[in-house]
Amino acid sequence: MNTVVDRSKDIGPFIPAPDDDMIICRCEEVTKGEIRKAVHAGMWTITEIRRYLRSGMGLCQGQTCSRLVKGIVARELGVSPAELEPATARSPMRPTEMKVFGNEEVSA
Amino acid sequence: MERYDLIVVGAGPSGLSASIEAAKRGMKVIVFDENEKPGGQLFKQIHKFFGSKEHHAKIRGFKIGEELLKEADELGVEVVLNATVMGLYIDKEVTVRIGDGINHYKGDTIIVATGAAENMVTFPGWTLPGVIGAGAAQTMMNLHGIKPGNRVLMLGTGNVGLVVSFQLIQAGCEVVALVDAAPRVGGYGVHAAKVARTGVPFYLSHTIKEAEGDEFITGVTIHEVDSTFTPIPGTEKHFDVDTICMAVGLSPMSQLLKMAGCEMEDNPKRGGQVPIIDDYGRTSVPGIIAAGDVSGIEEASSAMIEGKMAGVCAAEYLGYCTEKELEETLKVLENDLESLRQGMFAPKNRGKQIEKTEEGIDISTNLLKKGYVTDEEIERFPGVTHKVGVHPVMECTQNIPCNPCQDACKKGCISIGENITNLPFVKNDSECINCGMCVASCSGQAIFLVDEDAGEGKATVTLPYEFLPLPAVGTRGFGLSREGKIVCDAEVLSVKSVPAFDHTNLLTISVPKEYAMRARFFKVG
Repeated sequence: MNTVVDRSKDIGPFIPAPDDDMIICRCEEVTKGEIRKAVHAGMWTITEIRRYLRSGMGLCQGQTCSRLVKGIVARELGVSPAELEPATARSPMRPTEMKVFGNEEVSA
Repeated sequence: MERYDLIVVGAGPSGLSASIEAAKRGMKVIVFDENEKPGGQLFKQIHKFFGSKEHHAKIRGFKIGEELLKEADELGVEVVLNATVMGLYIDKEVTVRIGDGINHYKGDTIIVATGAAENMVTFPGWTLPGVIGAGAAQTMMNLHGIKPGNRVLMLGTGNVGLVVSFQLIQAGCEVVALVDAAPRVGGYGVHAAKVARTGVPFYLSHTIKEAEGDEFITGVTIHEVDSTFTPIPGTEKHFDVDTICMAVGLSPMSQLLKMAGCEMEDNPKRGGQVPIIDDYGRTSVPGIIAAGDVSGIEEASSAMIEGKMAGVCAAEYLGYCTEKELEETLKVLENDLESLRQGMFAPKNRGKQIEKTEEGIDISTNLLKKGYVTDEEIERFPGVTHKVGVHPVMECTQNIPCNPCQDACKKGCISIGENITNLPFVKNDSECINCGMCVASCSGQAIFLVDEDAGEGKATVTLPYEFLPLPAVGTRGFGLSREGKIVCDAEVLSVKSVPAFDHTNLLTISVPKEYAMRARFFKVG
């Protein structure tokens, strides 16, 4: 079902674009160019992009940029954004301080 | 760890509706919401809702929110605020951040009604302060009483873009333009028309080229795009603004469902990542149900019905109601939902280019391109008729499921006909008594009372007016056309504000006779 795993596909070289310096992930200050380069460096899934660049890993947890990053990666790969598996959903759903996250059952 | 029959995540229209249905059937229900106020988006909605009586039509959104909260409270639903659900684990264990700690709850059923988040588009300068979501602007204005900016450009002409533009004007901002890359206005024509007649220009097939400013937004340049959304050189237009609002769609916040192991799909028609659900919101995990925008972007009225469905499904799942009761309730709710999903803006018509109304009348092309119906076009719609004396003129030109006007007229002047989506028309055999109830009842502010010949070469026009300060009787100014251009002198003859109008004030202006069918807004001179 997932065409994105077909690693034999040739997506061509990275071609610089005038808007490469535009910030896409505001929290982690990741630019469009960095995301595009990452795709050409072999990061074809959203999970890989996140681990490589930290896009979507900041304060808003990708609330703003995940859709934008997905669009950029999909375009670079020449696939529809719908074909890209979104990042893993896991707890904590919202950014939380470790002291809070480790503080179990305070009021219950 | 505390156990509940039902844990609802999100205290918006669907979550609250779900909790009410479940509690009614005897379930022990708790609702968590990460915000400090309940109601989700409802408490930001200061406009009157569309629909029929059953759908809370002509009631303002925040009032509906208050009603739901009250009902939930009376039924013993626990609503916990400032409570952020952190995770949804196997066997329906939920972790919630409350204060500085994490609490564990076990739900025997879970309803996820987490709603959606705003989309953004990028352009050079989009990260500058002053670029905000339209929903954020609404939160600032309507929840916190803060004016988002002074000069605003709105990107997006869906209902969110149109409604928020109107509210920005109400808050005292100047909306310099409404811009959309699409060739047609996406939201209701009546919402567009009420913004256009205040003088806001619409730029369809346009998008933002860049925003300027060092520390914050000081200006924006837009340009026209062709049918493939490629910018056309030389079409740039510049505006001095301090705020750019983006109303470019919503994405479901469905991560909790994904985490819980529900089967998901990427469905562009539903707005992105959504759970795969049956007709009533039940996901692939038994006992986990999705309701509202999280399972597909729609609006508050349908979210409330989906919430009710989810609530009953949860009740049946745990044996709090019989399968028969479930089936019967769902049948009623399905009909309700179906009646909302009618007309030109129904989900099934998304993306379709509709040329004619259900009555076979050509849709106003100007409305879709410029946000207003032209003087020539308006005459072909059934709500627009000419009569001696005061009579209603209903500038309702698109089939949407809505009918408060019909019930508002105690004299029976107005009829919608068989289908709730029909365009209203004036019945010839009844007499208008100039009470103004129809004008105030129209959620689209599309009804006017007109006396085309009030004597001495004058005509009178009564229009809905939701701006402060209200002009005093005798104030002189100008009559604005549907396009928002000054077309004639006008004088305020009366200002009516009675409780039954629910804050829609009725302004009666006197204009030269020949402008009876053209003047549709008043501007203080």
